[in-house]
Amino acid sequence: MLDAALRSSAAGFLLVRAERASDAADRDARDARWSELMAAAQAGNARAYDMLLRECLPLLRAICRARLRDPADVEDAVQDALLTIHRVRHTYDPSRPFRPWLAAIAERRALDRGRSRGRSAAREVEIEAAGEVAAPGRDAEAEVALRMQAAHLRDAVGELPTAQRTALGLTKIEDLSLAEASGRSGMSVGALKVATHRALRSLRRRFGVEE
Amino acid sequence: MRTEDLIDQLSTGLKPVKRVWNPAFAAMVWLCLAAAVIGAGVAFFGFRHDLAARLASGFDTPQLLSAAATGILAAFAAFQLALPDRDRRWALLPLPAAAAWLATMGWGCLADLFRAGPEALRLSTSFPCLGFIVGFGVPLTVGMLWLTRHAALIRPTPVAALGGLSAAALASVGLSLVHHLQAAAMVLAWHGMAIVITTLIASAIGPRLMRAGLSARAA
Repeated sequence: MLDAALRSSAAGFLLVRAERASDAADRDARDARWSELMAAAQAGNARAYDMLLRECLPLLRAICRARLRDPADVEDAVQDALLTIHRVRHTYDPSRPFRPWLAAIAERRALDRGRSRGRSAAREVEIEAAGEVAAPGRDAEAEVALRMQAAHLRDAVGELPTAQRTALGLTKIEDLSLAEASGRSGMSVGALKVATHRALRSLRRRFGVEE
Repeated sequence: MRTEDLIDQLSTGLKPVKRVWNPAFAAMVWLCLAAAVIGAGVAFFGFRHDLAARLASGFDTPQLLSAAATGILAAFAAFQLALPDRDRRWALLPLPAAAAWLATMGWGCLADLFRAGPEALRLSTSFPCLGFIVGFGVPLTVGMLWLTRHAALIRPTPVAALGGLSAAALASVGLSLVHHLQAAAMVLAWHGMAIVITTLIASAIGPRLMRAGLSARAA
């Protein structure tokens, strides 16, 4: 009886070890694959890059989720991390594992996001509360029209070039100072001003607002 | 914007990139540049008249070696730290050499004190020292900032500080070959102060310059 129990627990132990070993082997294989994809991306292979970023997304989200509570912040940090990865993709050395490189960038962006979250928390109003104050007794039709306008605006912003969209998002939507926005995006203050100005101008033109 | 859309945008029209140099090679290139610039400065001002005697007496040699080691190790550490996946403890690499420099200078002060009495510790001003180290150190730091500009989005301040330390330590070696300072206390005070000032300037302006460099490259 005892013997059988020992045997079964020993077998269980071996099984767990074997599973761990196979997990580690899977991770190694995945790391090697990511290294190859990144090397191809550095050479200009867009498909490899697209595939790599999509495969890394769960890992990026997990890293950011460990540091940030709000799901919207997590997604923002993931996007910040993707932008940084893009801008410093030439710093990856394919002879080294890919995961630590990726994780270091994601952790940094999540920390930044957490810090700016802490700073801006005091200035923010909950959306629900703001809605009640801003739109007392608004009828359903006006509500729909407003939502459609918002959707158009979102589309228009989505069609802006990346630099302009980033600049607009950081300086006008997140309301960061130019210095903070510059730190986050890696764009110089001058470039941010120009990109924000151009973004606003093209939005105004699109919606027929006089300059 | 959805994250998946961002990925689409980033990968559309992806351009090939040139990988950054590995830290050892980058440090070598930068050290050659620094040696050429400081060497030109030394050639312009001329070797100090008592250089051979000072080196033979054995006191200046450890000082020069430890300052040079600080410069070399700080440069290597800066290039390591500029890469996202490197351990932040690389920043400690130049500390033993810097401690050795301080120890050498402290020992020199004691030796002077025993030889010449309290007079040896009296400080006078030596602005040329400050000018030489900061004057060579800051432009060389800018060269380092350009080579490590990819650190702008990762950890710009420690990289810039190490760059400043490296440039100033190497400029201090150059200055020791040119300028006549008898007392160790003077060297400790003026070289030390100039190195600290250069490192502070580097860490203050470095992050901004790196960001500008990175944007210039992306444009």
